[in-house]
Amino acid sequence: MGAAAALDYDAELMLRVKDGDEASFGLLLDKYRASVSHFLYRMVQDQAVSEELAQEVFLRVYKSRETYEPAAKFTTWLFRIATHLALNWLRDEKNERAQERLDQSNEDGPVREVADRAASVEQQMLHEVKVEEVRRAVAALPDKQRAAVLMHKYEEMEYSQIAKVLSCSESAVKSLLFRAYETLRVRLAHMA
Amino acid sequence: MNCPIKSQENTEWLIEYSADRLDKERTALVARHLETCPECARFVRAQRRVWDALGRWEAEPVSAGFDRRLYHRIDAQPASWMSRLFRPLHPLWRPVVPLAAACLLIVAGVVLHAPKAVLNPADSQVRIEKTSAEQVERTLDDMQMLRELAVTPTPEESSSKSM
Repeated sequence: MGAAAALDYDAELMLRVKDGDEASFGLLLDKYRASVSHFLYRMVQDQAVSEELAQEVFLRVYKSRETYEPAAKFTTWLFRIATHLALNWLRDEKNERAQERLDQSNEDGPVREVADRAASVEQQMLHEVKVEEVRRAVAALPDKQRAAVLMHKYEEMEYSQIAKVLSCSESAVKSLLFRAYETLRVRLAHMA
Repeated sequence: MNCPIKSQENTEWLIEYSADRLDKERTALVARHLETCPECARFVRAQRRVWDALGRWEAEPVSAGFDRRLYHRIDAQPASWMSRLFRPLHPLWRPVVPLAAACLLIVAGVVLHAPKAVLNPADSQVRIEKTSAEQVERTLDDMQMLRELAVTPTPEESSSKSM
């Protein structure tokens, strides 16, 4: 019921955008700006790149307004665009450059975040180290497995929707997630 | 229920159970199974650790200028001919446009296909012939009158003749 209502509302907003209602585009942007940006950030693990890609996602949504047809759930369409862009970027840019960027941010990150927190410096550093381990573990996953885990964990998407976003079967998603979590269970086994 | 790990069936139930996203009925089934299956219980504990660890990873907030940059990029996009055509119109007026176009087409159709006043060549011939006969008659009358005027002597002429 909730999902159906959300489908109708988002699709309705997009149809209004199609009719030239710019305010409805603003509503969709407000609603999905953070989730799309965060998904992309966790996919590419680079803030500047993820924002650039998120901009591209919404730009494509806007540009596609005239041909938009609510054939699928709006979020499925939105995350399909986001995943497509992220996978393309990863295909083009990962290699040494991505690894170098990760290493640099690894060195800078904890120092930048430590100040002005109620928790002790030691606790904060421990937290940052753990988060860094999670980041690395997720970054080490194959791209499609990573996308599936991020949509499952953070976007709380169901298997059927992830399947539509990744253009594969539901059983393929089950397999992707099972293997991805298996890898993560091994890599993050020490984390209590 | 069959052991999901041993049978490799419904393994997603264990993942969903670890995330507290399984429906009540299946949750009860898995919970009962876990009481007797140490392997699945271990799986669930490890999966919960992963779930919690992923939960620690917060994404950075979106930068303040995100919307401004996006709208700037949108404005920089060349508009399609359709949007250029309809942009000045308020959405409420848009349905009127095709209606007006349809009315215009109907009017044009009526004008183009309306029966024209066809001139009958025979009628015009009769009118011309009729006109010509009258003219001839009138001309003959005029000539007759002129002749009579020319024949009738003026008073001076008649007096001089008598002298």
